[in-house]
Amino acid sequence: MSKKDNDSIPFDENNYTHNIDRNRERRLDRRGFMKTMVGAAGLFAVSTLPWGGIAAKELMGWGKRSYPVQRLADVSSLHVGDSLEFHYPNEHVSALLVKTGENEYHAYQNACTHLLCPVFYSPEKEKLVCPCHKGYFDVKTGAPTAGPPRRPLPEISLEISGGAIYATGVLRYET
Amino acid sequence: MPRGCCVMKRSWRGVILLSIVLFLNILFTQKAVHQFFYENYAATITYATLNVLLFPIAWIIYKREKEVE
Repeated sequence: MSKKDNDSIPFDENNYTHNIDRNRERRLDRRGFMKTMVGAAGLFAVSTLPWGGIAAKELMGWGKRSYPVQRLADVSSLHVGDSLEFHYPNEHVSALLVKTGENEYHAYQNACTHLLCPVFYSPEKEKLVCPCHKGYFDVKTGAPTAGPPRRPLPEISLEISGGAIYATGVLRYET
Repeated sequence: MPRGCCVMKRSWRGVILLSIVLFLNILFTQKAVHQFFYENYAATITYATLNVLLFPIAWIIYKREKEVE
């Protein structure tokens, strides 16, 4: 092979066979860079839209559900340490009302957050107990204190008027 | 400066301005997300709006600066 063959290009390069300019391929010029920046600005703008949208939804209260007001019991019929089972917000969801002190009531949807066993109130332990796997919940907050459950029981908001206790809603799940 | 004149000096103004815009974008996005989790929804909307407004600003900067060599 002669030196001439080695140095020369065997055929004419044209735009169809050699359409990548290797030297310019990776060049990012000033204008291209600015274009990228504008694109990035657009991307950021679009990416914050869902956050703004959900925030607007929360602010307008569109996500709020309405709950029925349900009469649970007379204040005089319950003593401290008593608990009462009821269904709220509908017949398929069982709930528990506990009188923990004079004028102090707490109510939770009492399906254990572990495997949905019904939780009951134990006045001796002053805790909500799940009999299935010995799960314990704080009666004042509904937070799990021992056993397998990791999430708090959904709390039901109460209102006392005219000597009776009313359930007014299920509080939003926090944390 | 007239085109094709003696000194070809590149203008970096657009690049710098767009860099500032991108920095603000990062800032507002961060703020919006954080305020969302702090449940300051009004602040979240403000930052999201600012972020959206930055896009046309970036576009205008690009339009103005792309012809400047």
